[in-house]
Amino acid sequence: MEEEKIKIAYYPGCSLNSTSLDFNVSIKRLLEVLGIEYEEIEDWNCCGTTPAHHTNEQLSSALSARNLLLADKMGYDTILSPCVSCYNKLGHAAKIIASEEEGLNDFELEHKRQLVEDLQEMGFKLKENYDFKVYTILNFLLKHRKLIKEKYREVTQKSGSEPPRILERLSVACYYGCALLRPREAEKFDDIENPTSMEQLLGDVGIGCRKFQFKTECCGAILSLTNKDLVLKLSRDILEMALDCGANSLVVFCQLCQQNLDLRQSQINRHYKKDYRVPVLYLTQVLGMALGLSEKEVMLDRLFVKPEI
Amino acid sequence: MKKQEIDLNKIQEELEGYIEPNMNYCCQCGKCSAGCPVVEAYEYKPHQIISLIQAGQMEKIINSNTIWLCVECDICSTRCPEKISIASIMNHLRVATWQKNTKKDKNIAKFYKLFNFMVRFFGRSYEPGLIMGLNVGTGRFFNDADIAADILKKRKIKILPEFVKGRKEIGKVTKKYQ
Repeated sequence: MEEEKIKIAYYPGCSLNSTSLDFNVSIKRLLEVLGIEYEEIEDWNCCGTTPAHHTNEQLSSALSARNLLLADKMGYDTILSPCVSCYNKLGHAAKIIASEEEGLNDFELEHKRQLVEDLQEMGFKLKENYDFKVYTILNFLLKHRKLIKEKYREVTQKSGSEPPRILERLSVACYYGCALLRPREAEKFDDIENPTSMEQLLGDVGIGCRKFQFKTECCGAILSLTNKDLVLKLSRDILEMALDCGANSLVVFCQLCQQNLDLRQSQINRHYKKDYRVPVLYLTQVLGMALGLSEKEVMLDRLFVKPEI
Repeated sequence: MKKQEIDLNKIQEELEGYIEPNMNYCCQCGKCSAGCPVVEAYEYKPHQIISLIQAGQMEKIINSNTIWLCVECDICSTRCPEKISIASIMNHLRVATWQKNTKKDKNIAKFYKLFNFMVRFFGRSYEPGLIMGLNVGTGRFFNDADIAADILKKRKIKILPEFVKGRKEIGKVTKKYQ
């Protein structure tokens, strides 16, 4: 008997729609390979990310919650939001919407009531109960690990199939960054100080990873636009540590980390008079290639530091 | 919204009342500051912020660069032996003083304003506008000019903005908070 198809709403977010198109495309191709159906949330808006969250939490909740209710209109309660910042903001909004008024303190109660008012002002008719499940790419793939393993078996059993040469050359360190598990509201689906989800997923497709001490160090995140020197230093430390651990590449799932480490690697080199050439690949690109996608399909050519073959 | 008078006592009460009632268990072990990735750029380190709040010296905190440089990576909160959510304290300090007349990191303040304005106007962030606006706004005209060519060559930015259909409704609500 064929299993029921998995259907989800997809929230790309602003970055994935622009500066991280390669991440976006590699996710979509990977979902297709795994047979997961997705539909982009119609007319989605920015979640507000750090600027909204740091200046007015009501603003942050209202912007994020609109996307959830749009997904609900399309009949979805499961939302994949690959960007870690969007995932945190959407997840937080989902918790507020689902919360029971009895359990809240005055501050939280006021916040929820204001949010409901704002959503009504945006033209939504609110239902009594909502149960949104928001995933980022990592916990989503972990949940569907079986599909990855099955697909990998299928690909490797094909006669004459060889693993892509590029993957054989990679000796990867998995870099998780800071925003996935640490925030107060975040779902703790892995160890906070030494997460291993990425290693598990890559292990499923026959890729071994180096031990890496800087898995959850911060890359400096959005300070890249305002206080660049700090970011260059933090990102340099991460690259240096990866090399010290014997890796020749990094695997990430956050487009902001990826930008700071890949796009700004040339700036790091100029600033510190170094000659780093460490490709920083998205987890979905690596998994995609291991499951039979071509380099072009996962947009490997869009990386600034190319993996050498 | 106009710049408002600041009520330091109120902020302190909010912090100790519901943002982080455990704050007074802080034993000044300094684990938060030891793990913080940007601590070297701070005027006050995270553990000093806690002790300043306890001493009622809010004036110093709200005018320091610490609360604006914090990247909210949450290392401090997750490593605190008393489980004090320092990141939440920092965020409340930012939110409570954003509209107020305090000393802020100028670049960050301009970035947040511009970003929030773009979301109000387009419904989504518009990266070319954001980067150029920020360069002009902060007087660093050639900031990141060295990587601009790379970005264009790799076609890794959308030149034209995208407009969300519901931007009018979004604008109505978000205007209240900016």
